[in-house]
Amino acid sequence: MSDREQPSAETETSQRAAVPVLSMRHIAKRFGATQALEDVSLELFPGEVHALLGENGAGKSTLIKIITGVYQPDHGDILLDGQPITIRNAAEGQRAGIAAIYQEPLLFPDLNVAENIFVSHQNRGEIVGWRGMFREAEAILAKLGVAIDVRSSARGLTLAAQQSVEIAKAISLNVRVLIMDEPTASLSAHEVAQLFRLVRDLRARGVAILFVSHRMEEVFDIADTVTVFRDGRLISTKPRADVTPRSAIADMVGREMGLLQPRAPAPRGDLLLSVKGLGREGVFTDVSFDLHRGEVLGFGGLIGAGRTDVGLALFGIEPATAGTIVLNGKTIAVKSPRQGMDFGIAYVSEDRRQLGLSLPMSISANITLPILLRYLNQFGLIRLGLERETAETFRKRLKIRTDSVDLPVAKLSGGNQQKVMLSKWLNTKPSVLILDEPTRGIDVGAKAEVHAMVSELAAEGIGILLISSDLPEVLAMSDRVLVMREGRQMAIFDRSDATQESVMTAAMGQSAELVAGAAA
Amino acid sequence: MNWIRRHIRPEQVRELSLLLLIIVAVIFFGSLIANYYTSRTFNRIAASVTIITIVAVGQTLVVLTRNIDLSVGSIVGCTAYFVGTLLARDNSLNPFLAVLIAVAMGGGMGALNGVLVAFARVPSIIVTLGTLAIFRGLLVDLSGARTVTTDSLPGWLVDLPRVNIVSIGEVNVGALFAIAVCIVILFQLGTTFLRTGRRFYAIGSNPDAAELIGLPTRRLVFIAFVICGALAGLAGFVTLARFGNITVEAGRGLELEVVAAVVVGGVNIFGGSGTVVGAMLGAIMIGVLEQSLFRLQISEFWRDALLGLLILLAVASDAVILQRLRALWARGELRFATPPKEKDEVST
Repeated sequence: MSDREQPSAETETSQRAAVPVLSMRHIAKRFGATQALEDVSLELFPGEVHALLGENGAGKSTLIKIITGVYQPDHGDILLDGQPITIRNAAEGQRAGIAAIYQEPLLFPDLNVAENIFVSHQNRGEIVGWRGMFREAEAILAKLGVAIDVRSSARGLTLAAQQSVEIAKAISLNVRVLIMDEPTASLSAHEVAQLFRLVRDLRARGVAILFVSHRMEEVFDIADTVTVFRDGRLISTKPRADVTPRSAIADMVGREMGLLQPRAPAPRGDLLLSVKGLGREGVFTDVSFDLHRGEVLGFGGLIGAGRTDVGLALFGIEPATAGTIVLNGKTIAVKSPRQGMDFGIAYVSEDRRQLGLSLPMSISANITLPILLRYLNQFGLIRLGLERETAETFRKRLKIRTDSVDLPVAKLSGGNQQKVMLSKWLNTKPSVLILDEPTRGIDVGAKAEVHAMVSELAAEGIGILLISSDLPEVLAMSDRVLVMREGRQMAIFDRSDATQESVMTAAMGQSAELVAGAAA
Repeated sequence: MNWIRRHIRPEQVRELSLLLLIIVAVIFFGSLIANYYTSRTFNRIAASVTIITIVAVGQTLVVLTRNIDLSVGSIVGCTAYFVGTLLARDNSLNPFLAVLIAVAMGGGMGALNGVLVAFARVPSIIVTLGTLAIFRGLLVDLSGARTVTTDSLPGWLVDLPRVNIVSIGEVNVGALFAIAVCIVILFQLGTTFLRTGRRFYAIGSNPDAAELIGLPTRRLVFIAFVICGALAGLAGFVTLARFGNITVEAGRGLELEVVAAVVVGGVNIFGGSGTVVGAMLGAIMIGVLEQSLFRLQISEFWRDALLGLLILLAVASDAVILQRLRALWARGELRFATPPKEKDEVST
């Protein structure tokens, strides 16, 4: 409480009350081995916009889910108006005056706008008075300065319009605590301005707002108080006036490098891949980089920055619509994964279970799947012996821990599944290997082994694109780091310039001078 | 165009075009079949539409919640046979009690479907495919393949199909058909003006959001199946009244016609949209086709094949046409107003 200042005279209408409407005390939550939240205490005051900053995985989403009743905390209390409450589900939260708006609003597409606004009202009786409901909905939307036909169905509304409907819903419910989880992520600049007008309006009504965003300038535009999370802990809570983008980023990063050994720098080989102005309409634009043999190019940035989409475009799953790809001096167009493979590109998906592996199938069958044609004998039948031989080779090389390569992949641990997936793509003998979050959700030992494998593969002359949200990992493994933000390339750092601060500053969209300043 | 956009919703365009299609079909068959425009044609179509409509109303509620009830044909058969047997044994049974027994029996069978779908979380297509066979099997076994015959039934029941509410010239509006229309009106009002009715749409439209805002989704799905079963029970009674002779085959294959009526009537098979009136229009369309093809002496098997084709066409066109219409409607309508002044308007 010591660093909280008394109400500022900045907005006369939004005097901060002395009593918090919602306080969380010593909240802790653990998922398996991950401590998602540890001893978090946070207070929300009426008429205050409280911004929450933090990297992916810092614990923001977990906190939101605890406030809205999706998760129950392991420890700690939630107090509403000083009274301890238990929120078992979102409906209970709403009844208590707590509502959340997500990046993708949760509307009923087949119901009309007015119904969507009033759908969770409990006290409107069994008979629907359409005229009255339309009138009330129109009044609320008019007050918000939003022109949406209340009789039209919610299907087909723009995201911005959908969010306006969600806000109208919150207002009609007399919400006292409104949580906004990255509400601006898919909005245009004009729509963001519109949304902020609504947020200020809500603040003037005395609503406490918890605002999560990855856009620093928005946070500094709208917030009264800024809280930074890192690795499940609350690092700082300060009035906005006491926070600078640089200090906030410094609080967000500073993660321990831990046991990660920086990869020994290797001599750069010949130019392998040259990408210029690559883009896919509506997803990402203007990505340009060179990749040399034996080089690891890290892709840094926040989840949703478009890094995976670049990988998908290069491999041909979702082909690029703009730009050129030059591989070994030849311009290529990759329109399908089959072509990608033929060009010697391999993509190891971030989504092991959905896209990467066939879990019920055996290890050996998974490894040979992409190039199964090469395992056929003259009758078109699979040569199981050869298949097993290949699998055994990779089992030894990547130290896949299993009793037999005939076991289904589902029986393996996450780390070993990851190795099977790596084997599968190495077996296609790629010259460019795209690794998307290769160590997410695997234990420390397996992680170190994957890192060692990456170094080894680079030493063999394979060019590697390493997409990872684990910042220390990107910094330790990469020769250069390309940073993306909201579908755009922000910067490419050489190894010597890439620090947690400089990469995160670029990922948050701060200016070049700040990047230099933060790196200093 | 703007006037249309303001007063008619894309979903209603679909129902209006179905109405148009029915008229076109009637004109088309009228040109093929001699003596088509007679009261006899109308009465026959009305009679076959009655049963399909009553069941289709219940089916609509179930489909709105993203489920399906394939067991309706068997429920109709069971109730028709069971109530028929009761009435044959005791001709003095109160008519209203007989109807009540049929409805309650159907409701009970629907409740079994509802429990398995809503609370045991078994997919409805599996549950009702199972009960379709089970109910029919029980009927065959318990009846010993005996038949309810017209002459064993009380007189009031046998005369019921010929009771007319209104007669305009030779065109008669029968009591049974009037009951079906009343049910349609009742449920149309219910799904428009009752909160529970709107919630059927909500849970089919976005089940996750429904769960999140705390709608009683399981209870609503259960209610939908009970209502569907109860209306199938009523349809069983109507079947008994209309045919008199009830074998264990009664109502067999009805689910195809009912699902066809619902889907052709514009109810989205993935839940969330469609109306009871639309389902009735679908039933009329199918009634017209069945009677006309019968008059053209086209075999029953071809009629079923045509129904199947109609279902496929309806589902395919549903996706394409509605999407286009919605895009047309949405254009230029759903934007923000001109941005107001930057100053916050602090409201009271």
